[in-house]
Amino acid sequence: MRYAIEARGIKKIYKGATVLQPLDLSIPAGGVFGLLGPNGAGKTTLMKIIAGLVRPEEGELFIFGQNAAERTTTLKRLVGLVPQDNNLEREFTVREALTMYGRLFGVEALSETVEATIARFELEDMQSKTIRSLSGGMMRRVLIARSLMPNPELLLLDEPTVGLDPDVRQGIWDIISSLSAEGKTIIFTTHYMEEAVKLCNRIAIFREGSLVVSETKEKLQQRIGNGADDLEKLFIRLSRGGDL
Amino acid sequence: MGAYAVFSREMLMLYKKIGRMGYIFSSIVSPFIYLFAFGYGLGNRVEVAGGYLPFLAGGIIAITIMVNAFQQTAGSISVGRMYYHVFQSLVLSPVRAAEVILGIVLAGVARGVFFGSLIFLMAWGVFGAIELRATLVAGAFLGSFCFAALGVIVGLLVSQPDDVAFVNNFLIMPMTFFGGSFFPVENLPRFAQHIVMFFPIGALNRMMRSAAWEPGLWQSVLTLAGLGALFFAVGVAIYKRYSE
Repeated sequence: MRYAIEARGIKKIYKGATVLQPLDLSIPAGGVFGLLGPNGAGKTTLMKIIAGLVRPEEGELFIFGQNAAERTTTLKRLVGLVPQDNNLEREFTVREALTMYGRLFGVEALSETVEATIARFELEDMQSKTIRSLSGGMMRRVLIARSLMPNPELLLLDEPTVGLDPDVRQGIWDIISSLSAEGKTIIFTTHYMEEAVKLCNRIAIFREGSLVVSETKEKLQQRIGNGADDLEKLFIRLSRGGDL
Repeated sequence: MGAYAVFSREMLMLYKKIGRMGYIFSSIVSPFIYLFAFGYGLGNRVEVAGGYLPFLAGGIIAITIMVNAFQQTAGSISVGRMYYHVFQSLVLSPVRAAEVILGIVLAGVARGVFFGSLIFLMAWGVFGAIELRATLVAGAFLGSFCFAALGVIVGLLVSQPDDVAFVNNFLIMPMTFFGGSFFPVENLPRFAQHIVMFFPIGALNRMMRSAAWEPGLWQSVLTLAGLGALFFAVGVAIYKRYSE
């Protein structure tokens, strides 16, 4: 089996506090992998480690078989990140933000790719607007569009639908589903159980920096039930210190 | 190509700032006040070969270059890292460390030379205190490179954007007032002269004021080039170990 992620003993300490306990985790290539857990469980830290924004104190991480510690240009082209915090340049227009990001990633046929991205994500009406003038949902759509311009094999989405209205959320679900159908590997964090049940092939649950469970959705549902409610009950039980 | 991508992104950010009301004006108002107040207020009391106003004009241009190359670079990186998170785009990109730092430093050079040129035009046009020389132009580029590279180090190392003000108070401010911009360093006590001879602003001041490529001027060229290369190498090394 080909793995998108192979983590061995990854550990992260922030200001003396261990935010990620030594973690062993394998994520097969292709499909949608959901990271669940309460706030402070270590999900975002893990996403940032995979993206290369944070360096772990211990352990090894391999992305598509390449050692992530080396952060080669080839490896960086394989990974796209849609962060929890908006990191778009607020003074840029949507078109400028896409163009500058594409140029940083050495995207070929940049003008055509920007045009295609604007069309694919239906950004035509807002391409000349500055980022700061966009709504939260629109910014998130631009963030996803931008991260896909270099055509990464692995896309990391950190709480991509938090705070969005149902229509925009559905649009992002559609994007995730279509990317999965293209064979991309998608890892996303979420607090919405409905989202996890609907989109994921595999689910991992974190608590206080530790991995509690990582299984296929089917296996997990055999243990706890099929509905989003069942997953939510498990989530709450684990969050309160209960067992699986 | 990677350095150009970083440089063009930084320059677009600067262009957006310059478009804002008051950005240029606020950058040149202090140098104008210094030139006017010290030039006419103290002009008769400070004895300098060639007259105080031309001496002061060179010093004020040097300060303008230092402040804009250093402060804007350090501020842009620190705020981009910790507040707006736009620095993440560079870290995620496949652009090599040396090219990222080169792109940022060259943008700092552009800022330093641009604002230095504005003060030059003011000193030349309004006060008739200076004339264009090759040594001045070379100094503007070398000095901007040196201080922008120093700004990269500070911008990458501070733990919050406000810490840049700390560096300003303990490094930039002493260089501004004791580095020979307002009065000859020979007026300082001998022990202080030994300290300030290591200030890059002293070398920049000499290049701003020198009428020709005298043998002694090459020491200033080497000082700025050497420190610039050292700061650049340190900036690259820090960036390679970058972690949020």
